[in-house]
Amino acid sequence: MMKKFTFLITIITLSAGFLRAQTFTDGLMMPKRDLCTGFIYSNDSWKNYWEGTLNRENGNIGTVSTKSVAWMGTYGITDKFNVIAVLPYVWTHASQGTLQDMKGIQDLTIGAKYNFLKQAIGAGDLSTFLVGSYSTPLSDYTPDYLPLSIGLAAQKLTGRFTTHYKLSKGWYATGNIGYTWRGNVTLDRPAYYTDGQLTMSNEVWMPNVLDYSFNVGYIKHGLQAFIGYTQQNTLGGGDIRRQDMPFVSNRMNFSKIDATFKYFIPKINSLAVWAGLGYTVTGRNTGQSTYYMGGMLYTLHFGKTAN
Amino acid sequence: MKTFYSKIVSLFLVFSVIGITLGVQSCDKEVETKEALGVLTPASLDQTASTWKPIILTNYSTQVPVAAPAATTSAAYLAEIAVIKDAQSKLTSSQRSSIEYWSAGGVLRWNQILRGLVAKYNLPPAPKADGTYATPDAENPFGDPAFPFSNPPYAARAYSYVSVAQYDALKAAWFYKFQYNRPSPYKVDSSVESLMPKSDLPAYPSEDAVLSGVTAEMLKVLFPAALEEITLRAADQRNAALWSGKATASDISTGLALGKSVAAIILAPGTGRFRTDGMANAVGTPAQWQALADGATARGEIPWISLDNPSRPPMLPNFGKVKAWNMTPAQITSERPLPPTPTASSEMTKEVEEVKYYSENSTRERLAIVHKWADGAGTYTPPGHWNDIAEEYIAAENYSEVRAARAFALLNMAIHDAGVGCWETKYFYFNPRPSQLDQSIRTGTGIPNFPAYTSGHSTFSASAATILSYLFPSDAQYFNEAASEASMSRLYGAIHYRSDCEKGIAHGNKIGGYTVTFAANDGAGN
Repeated sequence: MMKKFTFLITIITLSAGFLRAQTFTDGLMMPKRDLCTGFIYSNDSWKNYWEGTLNRENGNIGTVSTKSVAWMGTYGITDKFNVIAVLPYVWTHASQGTLQDMKGIQDLTIGAKYNFLKQAIGAGDLSTFLVGSYSTPLSDYTPDYLPLSIGLAAQKLTGRFTTHYKLSKGWYATGNIGYTWRGNVTLDRPAYYTDGQLTMSNEVWMPNVLDYSFNVGYIKHGLQAFIGYTQQNTLGGGDIRRQDMPFVSNRMNFSKIDATFKYFIPKINSLAVWAGLGYTVTGRNTGQSTYYMGGMLYTLHFGKTAN
Repeated sequence: MKTFYSKIVSLFLVFSVIGITLGVQSCDKEVETKEALGVLTPASLDQTASTWKPIILTNYSTQVPVAAPAATTSAAYLAEIAVIKDAQSKLTSSQRSSIEYWSAGGVLRWNQILRGLVAKYNLPPAPKADGTYATPDAENPFGDPAFPFSNPPYAARAYSYVSVAQYDALKAAWFYKFQYNRPSPYKVDSSVESLMPKSDLPAYPSEDAVLSGVTAEMLKVLFPAALEEITLRAADQRNAALWSGKATASDISTGLALGKSVAAIILAPGTGRFRTDGMANAVGTPAQWQALADGATARGEIPWISLDNPSRPPMLPNFGKVKAWNMTPAQITSERPLPPTPTASSEMTKEVEEVKYYSENSTRERLAIVHKWADGAGTYTPPGHWNDIAEEYIAAENYSEVRAARAFALLNMAIHDAGVGCWETKYFYFNPRPSQLDQSIRTGTGIPNFPAYTSGHSTFSASAATILSYLFPSDAQYFNEAASEASMSRLYGAIHYRSDCEKGIAHGNKIGGYTVTFAANDGAGN
């Protein structure tokens, strides 16, 4: 029935939530020949959603929850050039109605991050980054079962520009903007209606996506904490019609706020714990979700003992 | 700072190049929304079509008279020719697109448009704040809920009325075409261009205008909120006929009037078939809904309950009493399948267990079949899916407009009758869905809001496959396999028992047979 939402939420969670802390969107780099890897668990749920712009509940789905466990790894090719990979396994569930749960391996994202500038300006350091990433489904899941699909099944290519300014006392601010090109997706059915048009094809045109975010935080002595605001706009696509199901190419927009916390356990050097939570403030064709996440990441030093 | 800025600039350049490259690639993303149809060059004139058995009309000369046209040598006619030449001398690209669009055939194009309208309006009412549902109201089609809710029975009837009205109107048109034998403008004056394939079919009255008139009138009643789209499409079809050199203004105005008069007979308040077929009572009353449940309880069965939340009134419980096209009410009842497995029996326990197996052991392959045939809310419905399937075969035969209309009329009469027969069965037995008997059964698609026995998908599909197999016998195996797949998709999706599907297929085959019998004796040949 409401298949698209889950996926949207998943995307939101993955791309704008904990991943920010991970590296696609933050202002941090792994040093050369260090590998940071681990698993992140996230739980995203919503009872209200936006049917177009109308905020409502739906007794036929109740609360839709999406859980995921994502493996992630970041490796420092050099101090200024990192490669990143993420792969989540996703479970979806609706608390009411009869629709089946879905689960499976979702999309592999691989990317590169380049810190092309770092210099002292005023009382702090300014760093700027370019990030490119590619994402593709690793299993043959259907995107046509929203909001319980585990993803939207589109191949994605993202370009991102990040600016990070950090004061020597540990306070910092990060802003970034990303543009995502999305490939068409294929359904299991020969025709579909969306955006005022019956299309006699199983292929769906997917609009591209623009996102931007702004964080302020503190990082020092193995502690990192920040709060953030994220806005995502899908650049096209139709609204969910009155009492209709969501559709893969809907114009899914949202803004959300979140808080993230990261701490290196003092006695076990290289082990970090992560925790975060977030809330969707406004949206269109998306769930009004609340999420929380937690994870553990371990850093392996392959380089000569530099320190 | 100089290096800072040069780095920024160079990186933006790199980024722009990447963006442009991707932007160019993204142009390839465009999806063709319309089904590809070639230019229609009819294989036959079907000169005798006016002798084929009418469905609703009884006498073309008395019911829908058409006056003789002016001679092609008359000043009035020559003025009409001049208008065409003038239009052709300054055709815009958008006008040429219209000609190209309609040259695929009006019957095929209107069928596509109709499928789009069904999908657009196939949305159930949203619950009100108090947990009840408003009934769609034809007097307030733009409201919430919109009118109509073009669910499968509504859609089956709509497809059939549009197809039948087109078919009768075109036979009437053929009657007058070959009575008056007025040639196409490009045959009268060789300096008129023929921008659609040339044909020896007489132009008066214009078949395109007949189609535009009869179809628009039917659609305006079936989908009143789509008035603007319908009217624009109809006008575009008539314009394309004129711009292409196929018809003059009088061919068109006469055709339009003929098409409208056929629709007027069908839609006549108080007497037209459309008004008196029982559809007005299909929604039923709360007392009738309760009586259905009480009846099942009295028979010792567990009655169906709505699994929607909040609970929703059953979908069109009296649709089984709506008039069928090729079956009498007595035949509808006599063909009703035998009673379903009793809800309290051990056989039913086994049926439920099988459904649960498919619920818990969904595979990607089976899920694809479930979704291929789901045709639920927001889609063109199973009847529309079978029109989609039929389109390709009808287009490939290069049928004349009147024979294409016959094919769709036969198909959609068989589908409508399947809807009537199936709904009569569903509400006669009022049998619960698997998820009602075992609440742990989770489904691969939405549960339709009406009783289980028998499967509507199975009945619609088998009836459609039966008539399509008659029309296109060399592809009978394909049609029957498709019907079987559509049927089993409901078991795979855990919303039907196997017996719903199997009985539905057998029932649909029988119902389709009635329309095959009609077709075999309608004087059109195969």
